[in-house]
Amino acid sequence: MTKAMSVIVTLAVVGVLSAAHSVADEGPILGAVKAVDASGKTLTLQTTAQGKTRDVTIILKPESKIVKFARPSEPGKTGFIEQPLALSDLKPGWIVSVTTTHVGGNEVAEVITVVMER
Amino acid sequence: MRTKLFTSFAISVLGLLVGLCLARPPATRANGDKHEEKGGHAHVPAPLEYADVHVPLSVWTDPAMITRGKEIYTVRCAVCHGDQGDGKGPAGVALPLKPPDFRDKDGVAEMRDNYWFWRVSEGGQIEPFKGKGSAMPPWKSELSVEDRWAVMAYQHTYSGHNGPHVPWEHPESIAMGRDIFAMACVPCHGVAGKGDGSVGPMLAPRRAPQPRDLTSAEFKFRSTAPGQLPTTADLFRTLTEGVRANGGPMTIGLRGHRIMPSFQHMPVEQRLELLEYVKSLNRGFWERSAVKTITVPEPPTLTPERLTRGQQLYADAECLACHGERGRGDGPSAPTLKDNRNLPIAATDLTRPERFKNGARPEDVYRTLGTGLGGTPMPSYADSLEPDQIWDLAYYVLSLSRGGQTAATGSR
Repeated sequence: MTKAMSVIVTLAVVGVLSAAHSVADEGPILGAVKAVDASGKTLTLQTTAQGKTRDVTIILKPESKIVKFARPSEPGKTGFIEQPLALSDLKPGWIVSVTTTHVGGNEVAEVITVVMER
Repeated sequence: MRTKLFTSFAISVLGLLVGLCLARPPATRANGDKHEEKGGHAHVPAPLEYADVHVPLSVWTDPAMITRGKEIYTVRCAVCHGDQGDGKGPAGVALPLKPPDFRDKDGVAEMRDNYWFWRVSEGGQIEPFKGKGSAMPPWKSELSVEDRWAVMAYQHTYSGHNGPHVPWEHPESIAMGRDIFAMACVPCHGVAGKGDGSVGPMLAPRRAPQPRDLTSAEFKFRSTAPGQLPTTADLFRTLTEGVRANGGPMTIGLRGHRIMPSFQHMPVEQRLELLEYVKSLNRGFWERSAVKTITVPEPPTLTPERLTRGQQLYADAECLACHGERGRGDGPSAPTLKDNRNLPIAATDLTRPERFKNGARPEDVYRTLGTGLGGTPMPSYADSLEPDQIWDLAYYVLSLSRGGQTAATGSR
């Protein structure tokens, strides 16, 4: 009985810890573009989370999208239109938000959204 | 029995695990631990440098300002905050910390104008927002003060509220301060802050000082000109340091013989919340156009010549009429002094700087001489003395204390 109980408690602890870990890594990464390596297909961001600033290198795969939003130029049209960008279009200092997946310990970009050009 | 207990425990644990797996965690790495339901937006008090930036009342409903704000918002803000003000602009939905929904009446009502202005000005570059991963850009270098007010006025329209965005329209914005006031201040300052609390008369029976009427425009301790309301920083200093004075038996237990206790151990955020409530008792804080404070120059070196000049000024400015030749508060006019409530008031004994109500550091004495003490016979010398002369007089006043060393040490 006691042995079974310890197994369940251990499972519970492991479950809670892994759930917490997945919570910590689910959201998009927000940061300022620090460096762009168009040939190496990587993007380095300076991010701040929980009070700590760090550099995060993001790998781009062929399907990774880079977009920014702009007002339509046609008169009378409202809202925003999505404009695709190339990695080389990103400039240091721009603020971007990146949704990623973890692959082999790396952050691989799904969608890179330009939040602010500056 | 034990088996049943164990089974229930196991089911509970499994239920918890399943719940954790199924529950969709907040999509963020940056949200704070509070206000999750509002996307991690915590309406913390604005820091002192922004605390006095209250938006003029007319701005909120001025059609020209709202139109000007809409133009700026459409170009600069809507990509994140959305054309509908719902925080769902195309770039906003990709952010870890979602932009707020300006249509959320309750959320907007809780947001004080100085907080709002601070956020628009500094964006997410400052704590606690930086640590939460806010992408909000700082607009202070790109938008003028009026432009920022205009944007706020336009954003405010999304909430559906038609009046000015002020505490007396949104009491929820000062709810925390009101609670602290009820616990810490009501016994002396009274329920309505009129200085008529039940304990007040026992502090100094039938004489000044009495607890401040916080609804009046008369504040003793200011860095502003006579007749002006104090800055939030002035109020913060008084709240933090308390007020030292000869009081009745009720003050004996207060450390340092204070007639108002020091609240230095109250967390800074709570003191700021409290002051936002205190300011809400007087609409003048929102109606003043600009806050001008007297500048306290760097203290000059204390020299014997400075003290000699100060002694002469002490006589010429008729300080000795109230404070006496030796500064003991026993001048010929001292027995006749009354405050603005017509209560007898003692001239401060300048030989006891530990009881200077406005502080005993050289800069405190300079400020007191420059601003006077509102509601008391102590006048301002800002118009009659040059800054260097005020320093001479301040040093001389401090030299009257025992040993005359206070000018050098000057602790409050």
